[in-house]
Amino acid sequence: MLNKVTFFSNIIFMILNNACFIIQWVIIYSLKNNVGGYSFKQILLLWGIAAGTFGVAHFFFKEAFDLSDTINTGKLDAYLIQPKNVLISSITSSVEVSCIGDMIYGWIMLFLYGFSIKNALLFLFFSITGGLIIASLAVIFGSLSFWFGRVEIVANTINNLMTTFATYPEGIFKGFVKVLFYTLLPIGFVNYIPINLLKEFSLLQFGIVVFITILFIALAFFLFYKGLKRYSSSNLMNARV
Amino acid sequence: MAVITVDNLSKNFKVKIKEKGFKGSLKSIVKPNYKIIKAVKDISFSIEKGEMVAFIGPNGAGKSTSIKMMTGILYPDSGDINILGLNPKKDRKKLAYEIGCVFGQKEQLWTHLTPYDNFKFFGAIYDLPDSQVEKKIKEFIELFELEEFINTPVRNLSLGQRIRCEIVASLIHEPKILFLDEPTIGLDPVVKENIRVLIKRMNKEYKTTVVLTSHDVSDIEKLCKRVIIVNKGQIVLDDSMENLKYHYLNKKIVEAKMKEPVNLEDEEGITILKDKGYNLKMEVDTKKKSIADAIKLLNPDNIIDINISNIPLEQIISSIYKDGEKE
Repeated sequence: MLNKVTFFSNIIFMILNNACFIIQWVIIYSLKNNVGGYSFKQILLLWGIAAGTFGVAHFFFKEAFDLSDTINTGKLDAYLIQPKNVLISSITSSVEVSCIGDMIYGWIMLFLYGFSIKNALLFLFFSITGGLIIASLAVIFGSLSFWFGRVEIVANTINNLMTTFATYPEGIFKGFVKVLFYTLLPIGFVNYIPINLLKEFSLLQFGIVVFITILFIALAFFLFYKGLKRYSSSNLMNARV
Repeated sequence: MAVITVDNLSKNFKVKIKEKGFKGSLKSIVKPNYKIIKAVKDISFSIEKGEMVAFIGPNGAGKSTSIKMMTGILYPDSGDINILGLNPKKDRKKLAYEIGCVFGQKEQLWTHLTPYDNFKFFGAIYDLPDSQVEKKIKEFIELFELEEFINTPVRNLSLGQRIRCEIVASLIHEPKILFLDEPTIGLDPVVKENIRVLIKRMNKEYKTTVVLTSHDVSDIEKLCKRVIIVNKGQIVLDDSMENLKYHYLNKKIVEAKMKEPVNLEDEEGITILKDKGYNLKMEVDTKKKSIADAIKLLNPDNIIDINISNIPLEQIISSIYKDGEKE
Protein backbone atom coordinates (compact mmCIF):
# COMPACT_ATOMS: atom_id res chain seq x y z
CA MET A 1 0.00 0.00 0.00
CA LEU A 2 1.63 3.19 -1.17
CA ASN A 3 -0.07 5.82 0.91
CA LYS A 4 -2.90 6.68 3.22
CA VAL A 5 -5.16 8.03 0.47
CA THR A 6 -5.23 4.79 -1.49
CA PHE A 7 -5.61 2.85 1.73
CA PHE A 8 -8.71 4.70 2.89
CA SER A 9 -10.24 5.21 -0.55
CA ASN A 10 -10.00 1.47 -1.18
CA ILE A 11 -11.93 0.78 1.99
CA ILE A 12 -14.55 3.49 1.54
CA PHE A 13 -15.24 2.68 -2.09
CA MET A 14 -15.73 -0.98 -1.23
CA ILE A 15 -18.37 0.01 1.32
CA LEU A 16 -20.10 2.25 -1.25
CA ASN A 17 -19.86 -0.47 -3.86
CA ASN A 18 -21.64 -2.92 -1.57
CA ALA A 19 -24.22 -0.33 -0.57
CA CYS A 20 -25.23 0.20 -4.22
CA PHE A 21 -26.56 -3.33 -4.45
CA ILE A 22 -28.97 -2.78 -1.59
CA ILE A 23 -30.87 -0.25 -3.71
CA GLN A 24 -32.37 -2.96 -5.93
CA TRP A 25 -33.63 -4.74 -2.83
CA VAL A 26 -35.19 -1.53 -1.50
CA ILE A 27 -37.15 -1.34 -4.77
CA ILE A 28 -38.15 -5.01 -4.69
CA TYR A 29 -39.32 -4.78 -1.08
CA SER A 30 -41.38 -1.68 -1.87
CA LEU A 31 -43.43 -3.97 -4.13
CA LYS A 32 -43.38 -7.13 -2.03
CA ASN A 33 -42.96 -7.88 1.67
CA ASN A 34 -41.39 -11.26 1.41
CA VAL A 35 -38.85 -12.66 -1.08
CA GLY A 36 -37.92 -16.31 -0.76
CA GLY A 37 -39.04 -16.31 2.86
CA TYR A 38 -36.77 -13.40 3.87
CA SER A 39 -37.89 -10.07 5.28
CA PHE A 40 -36.06 -6.91 4.23
CA LYS A 41 -34.09 -6.94 7.48
CA GLN A 42 -33.00 -10.48 6.77
CA ILE A 43 -31.82 -9.39 3.33
CA LEU A 44 -29.69 -6.78 5.07
CA LEU A 45 -28.31 -9.50 7.32
CA LEU A 46 -27.72 -11.75 4.30
CA TRP A 47 -25.65 -8.98 2.74
CA GLY A 48 -23.93 -8.40 6.04
CA ILE A 49 -22.89 -12.02 6.39
CA ALA A 50 -21.97 -12.33 2.72
CA ALA A 51 -19.75 -9.22 2.95
CA GLY A 52 -18.34 -10.22 6.34
CA THR A 53 -17.37 -13.76 5.30
CA PHE A 54 -16.02 -12.55 1.95
CA GLY A 55 -14.03 -9.90 3.80
CA VAL A 56 -12.54 -12.37 6.28
CA ALA A 57 -11.65 -14.89 3.55
CA HIS A 58 -10.11 -12.41 1.13
CA PHE A 59 -8.41 -10.26 3.75
CA PHE A 60 -6.69 -12.94 5.77
CA PHE A 61 -6.34 -15.61 3.09
CA LYS A 62 -6.01 -13.51 -0.05
CA GLU A 63 -3.45 -15.79 -1.65
CA ALA A 64 -5.73 -18.83 -1.29
CA PHE A 65 -7.58 -17.42 -4.29
CA ASP A 66 -4.37 -17.37 -6.33
CA LEU A 67 -3.14 -20.74 -5.12
CA SER A 68 -3.30 -22.26 -8.59
CA ASP A 69 -0.92 -19.61 -9.91
CA THR A 70 1.36 -19.95 -6.88
CA ILE A 71 1.65 -23.68 -7.57
CA ASN A 72 2.10 -23.43 -11.33
CA THR A 73 4.77 -20.73 -11.24
CA GLY A 74 6.84 -22.43 -8.54
CA LYS A 75 6.29 -19.74 -5.93
CA LEU A 76 5.80 -22.37 -3.23
CA ASP A 77 9.59 -22.87 -3.14
CA ALA A 78 10.03 -19.87 -0.88
CA TYR A 79 7.65 -21.31 1.72
CA LEU A 80 8.98 -24.83 1.46
CA ILE A 81 12.40 -23.80 2.70
CA GLN A 82 10.92 -22.11 5.76
CA PRO A 83 10.24 -24.02 8.95
CA LYS A 84 6.56 -23.17 8.99
CA ASN A 85 3.34 -24.62 7.63
CA VAL A 86 3.53 -24.22 3.84
CA LEU A 87 -0.19 -23.88 3.21
CA ILE A 88 -0.79 -21.31 5.92
CA SER A 89 2.29 -19.24 5.09
CA SER A 90 1.48 -19.15 1.42
CA ILE A 91 -2.23 -18.27 1.64
CA THR A 92 -1.70 -15.60 4.30
CA SER A 93 1.26 -14.00 2.56
CA SER A 94 -0.64 -10.86 1.53
CA VAL A 95 -3.82 -9.01 2.42
CA GLU A 96 -6.50 -7.32 0.35
CA VAL A 97 -7.00 -3.89 1.90
CA SER A 98 -10.38 -3.24 0.28
CA CYS A 99 -11.72 -6.20 2.26
CA ILE A 100 -11.56 -4.11 5.42
CA GLY A 101 -14.40 -2.24 3.71
CA ASP A 102 -16.33 -5.48 3.29
CA MET A 103 -15.87 -6.35 6.93
CA ILE A 104 -16.99 -2.89 8.08
CA TYR A 105 -19.97 -3.09 5.73
CA GLY A 106 -20.92 -6.42 7.27
CA TRP A 107 -21.05 -4.86 10.72
CA ILE A 108 -23.06 -1.86 9.47
CA MET A 109 -25.61 -4.33 8.09
CA LEU A 110 -25.71 -6.14 11.43
CA PHE A 111 -26.49 -2.86 13.19
CA LEU A 112 -29.29 -2.20 10.71
CA TYR A 113 -30.61 -5.72 11.26
CA GLY A 114 -30.66 -5.30 15.01
CA PHE A 115 -27.75 -5.14 17.39
CA SER A 116 -27.53 -7.23 20.54
CA ILE A 117 -24.59 -8.85 22.30
CA LYS A 118 -25.88 -12.26 21.24
CA ASN A 119 -26.27 -11.20 17.60
CA ALA A 120 -22.84 -9.58 17.58
CA LEU A 121 -21.13 -12.67 18.98
CA LEU A 122 -22.93 -14.96 16.56
CA PHE A 123 -22.18 -12.63 13.64
CA LEU A 124 -18.51 -12.53 14.56
CA PHE A 125 -18.42 -16.30 14.93
CA PHE A 126 -20.13 -16.96 11.59
CA SER A 127 -17.95 -14.40 9.79
CA ILE A 128 -15.01 -16.50 10.86
CA THR A 129 -16.49 -19.94 10.10
CA GLY A 130 -17.85 -18.67 6.75
CA GLY A 131 -14.52 -17.03 5.90
CA LEU A 132 -12.73 -20.27 6.69
CA ILE A 133 -15.13 -22.31 4.55
CA ILE A 134 -14.74 -19.92 1.59
CA ALA A 135 -10.94 -19.95 1.90
CA SER A 136 -10.87 -23.75 2.31
CA LEU A 137 -12.96 -24.15 -0.83
CA ALA A 138 -10.48 -21.94 -2.71
CA VAL A 139 -7.60 -24.08 -1.41
CA ILE A 140 -9.41 -27.30 -2.40
CA PHE A 141 -9.93 -26.15 -5.98
CA GLY A 142 -6.55 -24.41 -6.17
CA SER A 143 -4.81 -27.61 -5.02
CA LEU A 144 -6.17 -29.39 -8.09
CA SER A 145 -3.35 -27.62 -9.91
CA PHE A 146 -0.96 -30.19 -8.49
CA TRP A 147 -2.71 -32.79 -10.64
CA PHE A 148 -4.18 -30.87 -13.56
CA GLY A 149 -1.93 -27.84 -14.00
CA ARG A 150 -3.77 -24.72 -14.98
CA VAL A 151 -7.13 -24.96 -13.22
CA GLU A 152 -7.51 -21.25 -12.48
CA ILE A 153 -10.69 -21.05 -14.55
CA VAL A 154 -12.44 -23.76 -12.54
CA ALA A 155 -11.18 -22.37 -9.25
CA ASN A 156 -12.12 -18.80 -10.16
CA THR A 157 -15.57 -19.84 -11.34
CA ILE A 158 -16.27 -21.63 -8.07
CA ASN A 159 -15.02 -18.67 -6.06
CA ASN A 160 -17.12 -16.23 -8.08
CA LEU A 161 -20.23 -18.40 -7.83
CA MET A 162 -19.82 -18.41 -4.06
CA THR A 163 -19.99 -14.61 -4.07
CA THR A 164 -22.70 -14.28 -6.69
CA PHE A 165 -25.20 -16.64 -5.10
CA ALA A 166 -24.42 -15.59 -1.55
CA THR A 167 -26.55 -12.47 -1.81
CA TYR A 168 -29.88 -14.06 -2.78
CA PRO A 169 -32.41 -15.46 -0.31
CA GLU A 170 -32.38 -19.22 0.04
CA GLY A 171 -36.11 -19.64 -0.68
CA ILE A 172 -35.87 -18.65 -4.35
CA PHE A 173 -33.69 -21.69 -5.14
CA LYS A 174 -35.12 -25.17 -5.54
CA GLY A 175 -34.00 -28.73 -6.26
CA PHE A 176 -30.55 -29.33 -7.64
CA VAL A 177 -29.27 -25.82 -6.98
CA LYS A 178 -30.25 -26.20 -3.36
CA VAL A 179 -28.33 -29.48 -3.14
CA LEU A 180 -25.32 -27.64 -4.57
CA PHE A 181 -25.56 -25.05 -1.81
CA TYR A 182 -25.03 -27.69 0.82
CA THR A 183 -22.28 -29.54 -1.06
CA LEU A 184 -20.06 -28.14 -3.80
CA LEU A 185 -20.98 -24.49 -3.19
CA PRO A 186 -21.44 -24.50 0.57
CA ILE A 187 -23.34 -21.20 0.73
CA GLY A 188 -25.86 -22.93 2.98
CA PHE A 189 -23.28 -23.27 5.74
CA VAL A 190 -21.73 -19.87 5.11
CA ASN A 191 -24.93 -17.79 4.88
CA TYR A 192 -28.28 -19.49 5.18
CA ILE A 193 -27.90 -21.52 8.39
CA PRO A 194 -26.23 -18.59 10.20
CA ILE A 195 -29.12 -16.32 9.18
CA ASN A 196 -31.61 -18.81 10.59
CA LEU A 197 -29.55 -19.08 13.74
CA LEU A 198 -29.53 -15.33 14.33
CA LYS A 199 -33.31 -15.42 14.08
CA GLU A 200 -33.76 -18.57 16.15
CA PHE A 201 -30.86 -20.36 17.80
CA SER A 202 -30.58 -24.14 17.52
CA LEU A 203 -27.69 -26.06 19.00
CA LEU A 204 -27.96 -28.77 16.35
CA GLN A 205 -27.62 -26.33 13.43
CA PHE A 206 -24.83 -24.51 15.23
CA GLY A 207 -23.03 -27.83 15.66
CA ILE A 208 -23.50 -28.61 11.97
CA VAL A 209 -21.86 -25.31 10.95
CA VAL A 210 -18.89 -25.97 13.24
CA PHE A 211 -18.57 -29.54 11.98
CA ILE A 212 -18.75 -28.53 8.31
CA THR A 213 -16.17 -25.79 8.85
CA ILE A 214 -13.73 -28.27 10.37
CA LEU A 215 -14.51 -30.74 7.59
CA PHE A 216 -13.71 -28.19 4.85
CA ILE A 217 -10.50 -27.11 6.56
CA ALA A 218 -9.43 -30.74 6.97
CA LEU A 219 -10.22 -31.50 3.34
CA ALA A 220 -8.25 -28.43 2.21
CA PHE A 221 -5.19 -29.47 4.20
CA PHE A 222 -5.51 -33.09 3.10
CA LEU A 223 -5.72 -32.26 -0.62
CA PHE A 224 -2.98 -29.63 -0.46
CA TYR A 225 -0.51 -31.92 1.26
CA LYS A 226 -1.46 -34.87 -0.91
CA GLY A 227 -0.78 -32.70 -3.95
CA LEU A 228 2.39 -31.16 -2.56
CA LYS A 229 4.15 -34.48 -3.10
CA ARG A 230 3.57 -33.96 -6.81
CA TYR A 231 4.82 -30.37 -6.75
CA SER A 232 7.27 -29.86 -9.55
CA SER A 233 8.50 -26.32 -8.85
CA SER A 234 9.69 -24.29 -11.83
CA ASN A 235 12.61 -22.18 -12.85
CA LEU A 236 10.61 -19.13 -13.81
CA MET A 237 12.10 -15.89 -12.64
CA ASN A 238 9.84 -14.21 -10.18
CA ALA A 239 9.83 -11.68 -7.42
CA ARG A 240 7.73 -11.23 -4.35
CA VAL A 241 5.71 -8.11 -4.83
CA MET B 1 31.49 -36.38 9.50
CA ALA B 2 29.28 -36.30 6.46
CA VAL B 3 26.54 -33.70 6.72
CA ILE B 4 24.95 -34.56 3.40
CA THR B 5 24.54 -38.10 2.11
CA VAL B 6 22.64 -38.81 -1.08
CA ASP B 7 22.02 -42.39 -2.19
CA ASN B 8 20.67 -43.47 -5.57
CA LEU B 9 18.52 -40.37 -5.90
CA SER B 10 16.16 -40.24 -8.88
CA LYS B 11 13.44 -37.92 -10.07
CA ASN B 12 11.29 -38.05 -13.17
CA PHE B 13 9.01 -35.41 -14.60
CA LYS B 14 6.02 -36.21 -16.73
CA VAL B 15 5.76 -33.74 -19.56
CA LYS B 16 2.89 -33.40 -21.98
CA ILE B 17 3.96 -33.58 -25.60
CA LYS B 18 2.01 -31.37 -27.96
CA GLU B 19 2.17 -31.74 -31.70
CA LYS B 20 2.54 -28.73 -33.94
CA GLY B 21 -0.21 -26.24 -34.57
CA PHE B 22 -3.88 -26.02 -33.71
CA LYS B 23 -4.54 -29.60 -34.75
CA GLY B 24 -1.88 -30.74 -32.32
CA SER B 25 -3.51 -28.72 -29.56
CA LEU B 26 -6.85 -30.40 -30.20
CA LYS B 27 -5.24 -33.80 -30.29
CA SER B 28 -3.46 -33.22 -27.02
CA ILE B 29 -6.80 -32.54 -25.35
CA VAL B 30 -8.44 -35.70 -26.64
CA LYS B 31 -5.50 -38.02 -26.41
CA PRO B 32 -2.62 -36.48 -24.52
CA ASN B 33 0.84 -37.84 -25.08
CA TYR B 34 3.24 -37.88 -22.20
CA LYS B 35 6.97 -38.16 -22.12
CA ILE B 36 8.91 -39.07 -19.01
CA ILE B 37 11.93 -36.88 -18.51
CA LYS B 38 14.52 -38.34 -16.22
CA ALA B 39 15.78 -35.20 -14.54
CA VAL B 40 17.95 -36.96 -12.00
CA LYS B 41 19.16 -40.52 -12.53
CA ASP B 42 20.47 -42.49 -9.63
CA ILE B 43 23.00 -40.08 -8.18
CA SER B 44 24.98 -40.69 -4.98
CA PHE B 45 27.52 -38.56 -3.15
CA SER B 46 28.33 -37.27 0.29
CA ILE B 47 29.60 -33.95 1.59
CA GLU B 48 31.62 -33.38 4.76
CA LYS B 49 31.13 -30.65 7.31
CA GLY B 50 32.75 -27.35 6.35
CA GLU B 51 33.25 -28.34 2.71
CA MET B 52 32.56 -25.93 -0.13
CA VAL B 53 31.32 -27.95 -3.05
CA ALA B 54 30.50 -26.75 -6.53
CA PHE B 55 27.55 -28.53 -8.03
CA ILE B 56 27.76 -27.71 -11.68
CA GLY B 57 26.50 -28.81 -15.05
CA PRO B 58 24.96 -27.44 -18.25
CA ASN B 59 21.42 -26.07 -18.27
CA GLY B 60 18.87 -28.78 -17.65
CA ALA B 61 21.44 -31.17 -16.20
CA GLY B 62 19.49 -31.71 -13.00
CA LYS B 63 21.42 -29.46 -10.62
CA SER B 64 18.49 -27.40 -9.44
CA THR B 65 16.28 -30.46 -9.21
CA SER B 66 18.86 -32.17 -7.00
CA ILE B 67 19.23 -29.12 -4.78
CA LYS B 68 15.47 -28.77 -4.55
CA MET B 69 15.22 -32.37 -3.40
CA MET B 70 17.96 -31.82 -0.82
CA THR B 71 16.20 -28.77 0.58
CA GLY B 72 12.81 -30.48 0.76
CA ILE B 73 11.13 -28.49 -2.04
CA LEU B 74 10.68 -31.51 -4.28
CA TYR B 75 9.84 -35.09 -3.43
CA PRO B 76 12.30 -37.59 -4.86
CA ASP B 77 10.86 -40.56 -6.80
CA SER B 78 13.37 -42.92 -5.27
CA GLY B 79 16.58 -42.90 -3.29
CA ASP B 80 17.59 -41.58 0.11
CA ILE B 81 18.73 -38.19 1.24
CA ASN B 82 20.19 -37.59 4.64
CA ILE B 83 20.95 -34.01 5.63
CA LEU B 84 22.34 -33.60 9.16
CA GLY B 85 20.59 -36.83 10.10
CA LEU B 86 17.26 -35.58 8.76
CA ASN B 87 15.21 -36.78 5.83
CA PRO B 88 13.97 -33.76 3.80
CA LYS B 89 10.93 -35.76 2.76
CA LYS B 90 9.72 -36.30 6.32
CA ASP B 91 11.42 -33.63 8.42
CA ARG B 92 11.11 -30.63 6.12
CA LYS B 93 10.38 -28.18 8.94
CA LYS B 94 13.14 -29.42 11.24
CA LEU B 95 15.54 -29.32 8.33
CA ALA B 96 14.55 -25.75 7.46
CA TYR B 97 15.94 -24.54 10.79
CA GLU B 98 19.31 -26.02 9.89
CA ILE B 99 19.76 -24.96 6.28
CA GLY B 100 19.76 -21.71 4.36
CA CYS B 101 18.97 -21.26 0.69
CA VAL B 102 19.66 -18.51 -1.80
CA PHE B 103 18.17 -18.85 -5.25
CA GLY B 104 19.71 -16.19 -7.48
CA GLN B 105 16.72 -16.34 -9.79
CA LYS B 106 14.10 -16.16 -7.08
CA GLU B 107 13.54 -13.49 -4.54
CA GLN B 108 12.79 -14.43 -0.99
CA LEU B 109 12.81 -10.92 0.42
CA TRP B 110 9.65 -8.87 0.60
CA THR B 111 10.22 -6.06 -1.86
CA HIS B 112 8.15 -3.43 -0.06
CA LEU B 113 9.99 -3.92 3.24
CA THR B 114 13.44 -2.61 4.12
CA PRO B 115 16.28 -5.11 4.55
CA TYR B 116 16.12 -4.46 8.30
CA ASP B 117 12.42 -5.35 8.48
CA ASN B 118 13.00 -8.34 6.23
CA PHE B 119 15.69 -9.67 8.55
CA LYS B 120 13.39 -9.18 11.54
CA PHE B 121 10.67 -11.03 9.65
CA PHE B 122 12.96 -13.94 8.85
CA GLY B 123 14.13 -13.96 12.46
CA ALA B 124 10.51 -14.40 13.53
CA ILE B 125 9.96 -17.18 10.99
CA TYR B 126 12.87 -19.07 12.50
CA ASP B 127 11.58 -18.44 16.05
CA LEU B 128 14.65 -16.48 17.11
CA PRO B 129 14.46 -14.23 20.16
CA ASP B 130 14.42 -10.51 19.29
CA SER B 131 17.68 -9.74 21.05
CA GLN B 132 19.48 -12.43 19.09
CA VAL B 133 18.12 -11.16 15.78
CA GLU B 134 19.23 -7.61 16.63
CA LYS B 135 22.69 -8.88 17.47
CA LYS B 136 22.90 -10.90 14.27
CA ILE B 137 21.72 -7.98 12.14
CA LYS B 138 24.35 -5.72 13.70
CA GLU B 139 27.00 -8.32 12.98
CA PHE B 140 25.90 -8.74 9.37
CA ILE B 141 25.64 -5.01 8.74
CA GLU B 142 29.34 -4.81 9.47
CA LEU B 143 30.36 -8.02 7.76
CA PHE B 144 28.32 -7.44 4.60
CA GLU B 145 28.57 -3.62 4.61
CA LEU B 146 24.84 -2.99 4.58
CA GLU B 147 24.87 0.27 6.57
CA GLU B 148 24.16 2.41 3.52
CA PHE B 149 20.87 0.80 2.52
CA ILE B 150 19.64 -1.06 5.59
CA ASN B 151 16.56 1.19 5.73
CA THR B 152 15.81 1.41 2.00
CA PRO B 153 12.93 -0.72 0.71
CA VAL B 154 14.24 -3.76 -1.12
CA ARG B 155 12.54 -2.76 -4.39
CA ASN B 156 14.81 0.30 -4.55
CA LEU B 157 18.04 -1.64 -4.11
CA SER B 158 20.41 -2.53 -6.91
CA LEU B 159 20.68 -6.19 -7.85
CA GLY B 160 24.03 -6.52 -6.09
CA GLN B 161 22.71 -4.98 -2.88
CA ARG B 162 19.64 -7.17 -3.09
CA ILE B 163 21.63 -10.39 -3.47
CA ARG B 164 23.75 -9.39 -0.50
CA CYS B 165 20.57 -8.98 1.52
CA GLU B 166 19.23 -12.30 0.19
CA ILE B 167 22.34 -14.01 1.50
CA VAL B 168 22.07 -12.28 4.86
CA ALA B 169 18.40 -13.26 5.12
CA SER B 170 19.33 -16.88 4.55
CA LEU B 171 22.02 -16.67 7.26
CA ILE B 172 20.00 -15.05 10.00
CA HIS B 173 19.28 -18.38 11.70
CA GLU B 174 22.91 -19.53 11.48
CA PRO B 175 22.32 -22.45 9.14
CA LYS B 176 24.78 -25.29 9.19
CA ILE B 177 24.47 -25.81 5.45
CA LEU B 178 24.01 -23.12 2.84
CA PHE B 179 22.64 -23.91 -0.60
CA LEU B 180 23.48 -21.25 -3.16
CA ASP B 181 21.82 -21.65 -6.55
CA GLU B 182 23.55 -19.26 -8.92
CA PRO B 183 24.08 -16.52 -6.36
CA THR B 184 26.09 -14.32 -8.70
CA ILE B 185 23.75 -14.43 -11.70
CA GLY B 186 23.55 -11.06 -13.41
CA LEU B 187 26.05 -9.29 -11.14
CA ASP B 188 28.98 -7.11 -12.18
CA PRO B 189 32.55 -8.35 -11.57
CA VAL B 190 33.13 -6.15 -8.51
CA VAL B 191 29.95 -7.25 -6.76
CA LYS B 192 30.65 -10.87 -7.74
CA GLU B 193 34.03 -10.63 -6.10
CA ASN B 194 32.46 -9.12 -2.96
CA ILE B 195 29.94 -11.92 -2.74
CA ARG B 196 32.68 -14.51 -3.13
CA VAL B 197 34.73 -12.94 -0.35
CA LEU B 198 31.65 -12.97 1.87
CA ILE B 199 30.86 -16.60 1.18
CA LYS B 200 34.45 -17.53 1.88
CA ARG B 201 34.53 -15.54 5.10
CA MET B 202 31.31 -17.10 6.24
CA ASN B 203 32.61 -20.58 5.55
CA LYS B 204 35.72 -19.79 7.56
CA GLU B 205 34.07 -18.05 10.49
CA TYR B 206 31.00 -20.19 10.99
CA LYS B 207 32.25 -23.46 9.47
CA THR B 208 29.19 -23.40 7.24
CA THR B 209 29.03 -26.14 4.64
CA VAL B 210 28.36 -24.60 1.24
CA VAL B 211 26.79 -26.23 -1.80
CA LEU B 212 27.04 -23.90 -4.76
CA THR B 213 25.78 -24.02 -8.31
CA SER B 214 26.98 -21.51 -10.82
CA HIS B 215 27.70 -21.09 -14.49
CA ASP B 216 30.47 -18.69 -13.64
CA VAL B 217 33.64 -20.72 -13.59
CA SER B 218 35.58 -18.18 -11.55
CA ASP B 219 32.97 -18.54 -8.77
CA ILE B 220 33.77 -22.20 -8.67
CA GLU B 221 37.49 -21.82 -9.09
CA LYS B 222 37.80 -19.24 -6.35
CA LEU B 223 35.46 -20.78 -3.82
CA CYS B 224 35.31 -24.52 -4.06
CA LYS B 225 37.83 -27.21 -3.34
CA ARG B 226 35.59 -29.92 -4.70
CA VAL B 227 33.56 -30.15 -7.89
CA ILE B 228 30.63 -32.37 -8.70
CA ILE B 229 29.70 -32.19 -12.36
CA VAL B 230 26.25 -33.39 -13.37
CA ASN B 231 25.11 -33.92 -16.91
CA LYS B 232 21.86 -35.40 -18.13
CA GLY B 233 20.88 -36.25 -14.58
CA GLN B 234 24.03 -38.20 -13.77
CA ILE B 235 27.25 -37.38 -11.99
CA VAL B 236 29.99 -37.36 -14.60
CA LEU B 237 32.74 -36.20 -12.30
CA ASP B 238 33.19 -35.88 -8.54
CA ASP B 239 36.69 -34.78 -7.74
CA SER B 240 38.79 -32.17 -6.01
CA MET B 241 39.48 -28.96 -7.89
CA GLU B 242 43.20 -29.78 -7.77
CA ASN B 243 42.72 -33.16 -9.40
CA LEU B 244 40.43 -31.71 -11.99
CA LYS B 245 43.04 -29.18 -12.97
CA TYR B 246 45.88 -31.67 -12.75
CA HIS B 247 44.23 -34.22 -15.00
CA TYR B 248 43.05 -31.82 -17.56
CA LEU B 249 45.87 -29.35 -17.41
CA ASN B 250 48.41 -31.43 -19.22
CA LYS B 251 47.59 -29.24 -22.14
CA LYS B 252 49.30 -25.86 -22.33
CA ILE B 253 48.72 -22.92 -24.57
CA VAL B 254 51.92 -21.46 -26.03
CA GLU B 255 51.69 -18.02 -27.58
CA ALA B 256 54.79 -16.66 -29.24
CA LYS B 257 55.74 -13.48 -31.06
CA MET B 258 58.45 -14.16 -33.64
CA LYS B 259 61.11 -12.17 -35.46
CA GLU B 260 60.62 -14.17 -38.62
CA PRO B 261 57.55 -16.02 -39.74
CA VAL B 262 57.54 -19.73 -39.03
CA ASN B 263 55.48 -22.31 -40.75
CA LEU B 264 54.48 -25.09 -38.44
CA GLU B 265 52.13 -27.94 -39.17
CA ASP B 266 50.07 -29.94 -36.67
CA GLU B 267 52.00 -32.89 -35.38
CA GLU B 268 51.72 -35.33 -32.54
CA GLY B 269 51.18 -33.40 -29.31
CA ILE B 270 50.92 -30.06 -31.04
CA THR B 271 47.86 -28.35 -32.41
CA ILE B 272 48.24 -25.01 -34.12
CA LEU B 273 45.43 -22.75 -33.00
CA LYS B 274 46.44 -19.58 -34.78
CA ASP B 275 49.25 -18.86 -37.21
CA LYS B 276 49.59 -15.32 -38.44
CA GLY B 277 53.19 -15.55 -39.51
CA TYR B 278 54.77 -13.49 -36.78
CA ASN B 279 52.24 -14.46 -34.14
CA LEU B 280 51.68 -18.07 -33.30
CA LYS B 281 49.35 -19.79 -30.88
CA MET B 282 49.50 -23.51 -30.30
CA GLU B 283 48.23 -26.11 -27.89
CA VAL B 284 50.83 -28.51 -26.52
CA ASP B 285 49.87 -31.83 -25.02
CA THR B 286 52.68 -32.25 -22.48
CA LYS B 287 52.02 -35.96 -22.22
CA LYS B 288 53.13 -36.38 -25.81
CA LYS B 289 55.55 -33.53 -26.30
CA SER B 290 57.42 -31.52 -23.72
CA ILE B 291 57.25 -27.73 -23.71
CA ALA B 292 60.98 -27.64 -24.35
CA ASP B 293 60.55 -29.66 -27.56
CA ALA B 294 57.76 -27.42 -28.65
CA ILE B 295 59.88 -24.32 -28.14
CA LYS B 296 62.75 -25.89 -30.04
CA LEU B 297 60.44 -26.25 -33.01
CA LEU B 298 59.97 -22.51 -32.96
CA ASN B 299 63.68 -21.83 -32.99
CA PRO B 300 64.37 -20.07 -29.66
CA ASP B 301 66.58 -17.39 -31.21
CA ASN B 302 63.64 -16.16 -33.16
CA ILE B 303 61.31 -15.59 -30.22
CA ILE B 304 60.63 -12.00 -29.17
CA ASP B 305 58.04 -12.78 -26.54
CA ILE B 306 56.46 -15.95 -25.26
CA ASN B 307 53.54 -16.79 -23.00
CA ILE B 308 52.82 -20.27 -21.71
CA SER B 309 49.52 -20.70 -19.95
CA ASN B 310 47.06 -23.30 -18.75
CA ILE B 311 43.89 -24.03 -20.60
CA PRO B 312 41.17 -21.94 -18.94
CA LEU B 313 39.07 -23.95 -16.48
CA GLU B 314 36.03 -22.85 -18.42
CA GLN B 315 37.28 -24.75 -21.44
CA ILE B 316 38.00 -27.83 -19.33
CA ILE B 317 34.52 -27.85 -17.92
CA SER B 318 32.83 -27.35 -21.25
CA SER B 319 34.86 -30.21 -22.70
CA ILE B 320 33.63 -32.41 -19.84
CA TYR B 321 30.06 -31.33 -20.61
CA LYS B 322 30.58 -32.19 -24.26
CA ASP B 323 32.04 -35.59 -23.47
CA GLY B 324 28.91 -36.24 -21.48
CA GLU B 325 26.78 -35.29 -24.49
CA LYS B 326 28.57 -37.79 -26.73
CA GLU B 327 27.89 -40.66 -24.36
